Amino acid sequence: MPTIDQDLFRGLGEDDAARILGLGRPIRLAAGQELFALGADAGDVYLVERGHLALTLPMHVGGRDQDILVEERKAGQIVGWSGLIAPHRFTLKATAQIETDVRALPRAALLAYFEQHPAAGYTVMRNLASAVGQRLQVFQAMWLREMQRVVELRAS
Amino acid sequence: MVMFLMILCMSLFGLALTALAFGAATGTLRQDDEIRLDEVVDERLAAVPERFFVRDDAPRPTVAMPKVPLEVLLTQIDRHVRLEQAAAESFINFPSRESLHGRTLSPLAH
Repeated sequence: MPTIDQDLFRGLGEDDAARILGLGRPIRLAAGQELFALGADAGDVYLVERGHLALTLPMHVGGRDQDILVEERKAGQIVGWSGLIAPHRFTLKATAQIETDVRALPRAALLAYFEQHPAAGYTVMRNLASAVGQRLQVFQAMWLREMQRVVELRAS
Repeated sequence: MVMFLMILCMSLFGLALTALAFGAATGTLRQDDEIRLDEVVDERLAAVPERFFVRDDAPRPTVAMPKVPLEVLLTQIDRHVRLEQAAAESFINFPSRESLHGRTLSPLAH
């Protein structure tokens, strides 16, 4: 049963959270099953209700493309916010690491609800901005650490 | 004496004739041979690399890199990403120069 203990619903009233969750549909993924592919159209946002998802990007290793883990998502976290942000294409691939339950929230239904309930929309969008900002900051720091190593290698 | 002079004159005459014949023969031959030689040299030069004594392929590193099995390399990459992400999150929680450039145990970072 979905709860409001989710990243996306932080600060949201129980009624709003229940109605928004009601817009979604449950999806059960077997271990190793793909939720979405890199570059695919993003029409839904996903809430992880149980299990683990691996977010990966392809990298050429050992003469072939390999999915390299970039992030992990567990119960209570949001996945696939490209569904709410243009150009609505997934920039990662999501795969279940173990049997995983997610709730798919369609963009059209969410935006329609937010138009009718702007306060709820504002709260959800703030939570979404927080998730996007968190990833941006993490990758910014990772990139700078890598750049520092490149500079040290060149200097040595 | 007369006989000596006659032999000398005949020798000089013969030498002159020989020199003329040699000059005429080698003059025409030299031009033909020079052209043929140039052609032969051009063909050979075209077939030979410009830097005959230099290796054209890129220089290889003198230190041989150890061959890491693919599975091991993938595990190392996975661990590296997790450690780097943890280091980045640590920096976001407590931003400082030290936390941004703190070392990890990843073998790929050294």
